[in-house]
Amino acid sequence: MKGVSVIGVGMIPFGKYPDTNITDLGWPAVKAAIKDAGLDARRIQAVYSGTARGGAMVGQRIMGRLGLAGLPIINVENACSSSSSAMAQGVMAVASGAYDVVLVIGVEKLTKFGGGTLPLDEDDWEVRLGLTMPALYAMRAQRYMHDYGVSLKDVAGVSVKNRKNGVLNPDAQMRKEVTVDEVLASRMIADPFTLLQCCPTGDGAAAIILASNAVAKQLSSNPIEVRASHLTSGRFMSGFRDMTSPEITVRGARETFEESGLGPEDIDVAEVHDAFSIAELIYYEAFGFCPRGEGVALLNSGATSIGGRIPINPSGGLLAKGHPVGATGAAQVVEIVRQLRGQAGARQVEGAKVGMTHATGGGISGFDHGACSIHIFQR
Amino acid sequence: MHASMAETAQPSTSTRPFLCGDALGVNSSGRATLIGGRCADCGTETFPRVPVCASCMSENIRPQPMPHEGTLYAFSVVHVAAKKWRKPMRIGYVDLKNGARVFTHLEGADLAIGDDVEVDVGTVGDDEEGPIVSFVFKKVKR
Repeated sequence: MKGVSVIGVGMIPFGKYPDTNITDLGWPAVKAAIKDAGLDARRIQAVYSGTARGGAMVGQRIMGRLGLAGLPIINVENACSSSSSAMAQGVMAVASGAYDVVLVIGVEKLTKFGGGTLPLDEDDWEVRLGLTMPALYAMRAQRYMHDYGVSLKDVAGVSVKNRKNGVLNPDAQMRKEVTVDEVLASRMIADPFTLLQCCPTGDGAAAIILASNAVAKQLSSNPIEVRASHLTSGRFMSGFRDMTSPEITVRGARETFEESGLGPEDIDVAEVHDAFSIAELIYYEAFGFCPRGEGVALLNSGATSIGGRIPINPSGGLLAKGHPVGATGAAQVVEIVRQLRGQAGARQVEGAKVGMTHATGGGISGFDHGACSIHIFQR
Repeated sequence: MHASMAETAQPSTSTRPFLCGDALGVNSSGRATLIGGRCADCGTETFPRVPVCASCMSENIRPQPMPHEGTLYAFSVVHVAAKKWRKPMRIGYVDLKNGARVFTHLEGADLAIGDDVEVDVGTVGDDEEGPIVSFVFKKVKR
């Protein structure tokens, strides 16, 4: 297998663009990535485009708009892991030797649904009976607080940290700091979650250009190598599941670390799937950044803040940067690449050499999640 | 328990099917029973019943009455959800004594994780066709 590097990244600021269609959300991110790479766009040999709710042929629409269609374009749907799954396909295609240069896109327009919780598939048994994504994560939070004796105030601290990071990110949807009291006083969505513990609804797009290491050396002065590219699905369990420790991410993390020969102690910065406040604490533990039950202690120690031992979600994460679901995985890669290049401005994690992204999602009966994709990058 | 299954009927006030379809049976005395599945080849019991066994891929799945009682694993009181649901909507996961986990609406404001709960019939929402009726769980009265 060939080594693979990222040679270009681009995104549009996440936010609400009700008057812009998904094609016109997508192409500026692609153009920005091409410009960032300094690439002759004709070098792109294949496109992997992820969207969860954007409809059919979104990759073709975007590439057609730029006059770059007429090559293999693969559209990927994997819920909140759509563009991280597209990324995994792109990496595999280059690693296999099939292509030298490929483009990965993530794009989503959620404002078309008019607000409220993310629409789920009513064919699903639990969804038909009334399950929503906030309710699913709320149950995780309730069980976590019960098992580990942590308070709602402790959990709300994740929102405070990530909103603080979002202030420093011009691409973030939410750019205002909040206090714990404000988080707890905001509107109740699904107990224990108030509004400020839920990621916002919004739109966005991000794009990545991948090249084989050999070609990356010719084309780029600052390639970022992909050290691990992992994709898995959840396991179906009709009975007991420990909702405080999602097997899909625990197993995905273990397999990713095995693949790369790296461990949690080697990661300098990470973007993890904080769709709701509790999720970030659970993922600290799933990745082994701290032992089970010690997520709150890790958060409160400052270790996961910018300047700490292992800064998590310096972009603001899903809670502040936003979560246009199919665009999230690609946007996480954009952030980590900028961090590893030293281009993250006021939110720069000093000296970061190894970074990780983690996007997981899909609310379906009997699974912790449908999909989970984890990537590790190194400069 | 098997004998009572023959008496299962839809709610008498309406001909509208339960939200959960035939996964809920109610006998003539009003006793609610969840009907899941049992794999005749490997013995795995699941709720709801599905056409193929996720443990051994057998399609030999028989209807199986589920235990009436279970333990509340986790729950949430939900304030934002589709218009049709009665709010606040109490929902949770119940672990039945046969190992099946059930996503369910809950009744009662005094619930806690670890509570013993039992199945009943309840109205969980309303739409243009009228009340939406399904199974619910509530605290066991001892």
